[in-house]
Amino acid sequence: MTADRQDHAVPTGLRERIMTASRQARPAGLAVPQITPDSPMEAFSNAADAFYQLLITLSARDWHLPVLRDLDVQGLVGHLVGVERDVQRCIAGDEAVGSANHVESTQPVALAQAGRAPAATTDEWREAIDRTLAMASEADLDANVAMHGVALRLRDLLVARTFELWTHENDIRAVAGLAPSVPGASTLRPMTELATALLPFGAAFTALHEPIRVHLVLTGPGGGTWDVAVGEPSPEPSELGIVTDVVGFCRLFANRISPADLDVFVTGDSTQATSVLTAAAALALD
Amino acid sequence: MRIAAWVIGAGAALPGGSERAIFRCVEPTDALLAARLAAGDDHALAEAFDHLAPTVYGAALRVLGEGSAAQDVVQDVFVELWSHPDRFDPAAGTLGTYLNLLARHRAVDLVRSELRRLARQARHHRLTLDGHDPSPGDAVAAADTADAVRAAVSLLPDDQRRAVELAYFQGLSYREVALATGIPEGTAKSRLRLALAKLETVLDRQLLESS
Repeated sequence: MTADRQDHAVPTGLRERIMTASRQARPAGLAVPQITPDSPMEAFSNAADAFYQLLITLSARDWHLPVLRDLDVQGLVGHLVGVERDVQRCIAGDEAVGSANHVESTQPVALAQAGRAPAATTDEWREAIDRTLAMASEADLDANVAMHGVALRLRDLLVARTFELWTHENDIRAVAGLAPSVPGASTLRPMTELATALLPFGAAFTALHEPIRVHLVLTGPGGGTWDVAVGEPSPEPSELGIVTDVVGFCRLFANRISPADLDVFVTGDSTQATSVLTAAAALALD
Repeated sequence: MRIAAWVIGAGAALPGGSERAIFRCVEPTDALLAARLAAGDDHALAEAFDHLAPTVYGAALRVLGEGSAAQDVVQDVFVELWSHPDRFDPAAGTLGTYLNLLARHRAVDLVRSELRRLARQARHHRLTLDGHDPSPGDAVAAADTADAVRAAVSLLPDDQRRAVELAYFQGLSYREVALATGIPEGTAKSRLRLALAKLETVLDRQLLESS
């Protein structure tokens, strides 16, 4: 910022008057241009559509590229078929899926894809997605569910699955040499809402006990501003401001980049900022 | 709600915060500030005010020369920045320059509006034989700005001053000004435009000298 004109002392009270008038014109935290966020069903459906569009453009060679753990692309899609089946069990009230392991539970379906035609794997995955959408549309989205060690509302599970589909879509894009994709702003918004809501749990998981009030600003379409309390409850927490790009933060939350890959503007203690960003990636979905 | 790691992938953070990555610190820029404002960060608005309000207030004072109206202009400018941060283009100039221009335009709009008000008032007095007097408060509030504007008008070249008096104090249209002064309508328009542009400058200088 450049002060390129003559300064005059600002009258007392003008700052408060302007801050009040501004917040009346637009509440703090509300991003512009305003968007209508996707519902959890829409977000999940949009992520599935983007994933499907990628699958139908892959070459035969792409399907056999190693992509994640011991899986090639076809195996990863098989893993996602297995995840959908567990989501359906979860919606149907099967409590056993609550404690099932995300990889072990889906690995048989992933390995079973070897030798199949890619189109058959694609069709099986798409049918599984459609079945999940059909079951979710009949279910109470506010119901508490548990799956793969995570307990949350069904609506949040669908957004978590949105994260997973977007993340794996980009895993495949990376090995196939394709440009990364970014969800639309209306889809990103529920993703950022979930990521920021889970930040205190990520902090707890990484043993970040120091009480901090984080003023988190995620810039770009789909972003916004959140005030999140992490660490132990305290009447006088430290104040920390973190500003970073919304897509970068989502990639961090998905554990596809580290804090070292992020451009961040910090006000407050940078060591605390590192701890908070590390916490953001601690509940990653694979 | 029980939260456990869904599945922690390779390279994930370790419980206990033992991983101490260092992020890339970015410097504050006008573009970053605009992005923060768009994201709804009211701290960014407070920072912009603290840094730039003195110059914005100065820009408004140079045109208006009156504290209360200048404060209104500063409020308009910052509420506009907060409501429509996308209208600031960092590639086109600094935020300070943008806000100063905005303040100047708003202040000049106020002056123009005051000219129109004076014209309406003059018309009203001509048409109303027994018009009511304004309240003492209104009269005092209007007097400072009106005096400054009238003084500025008196400094205009004769042809421009005559056009302003006819158009704004007597309420004549462009065509009527042209007829009254024996000039083409287009010339009347351009004469008034020149006069208004000069008024802005004259008001600036006059008010600076008096402050």
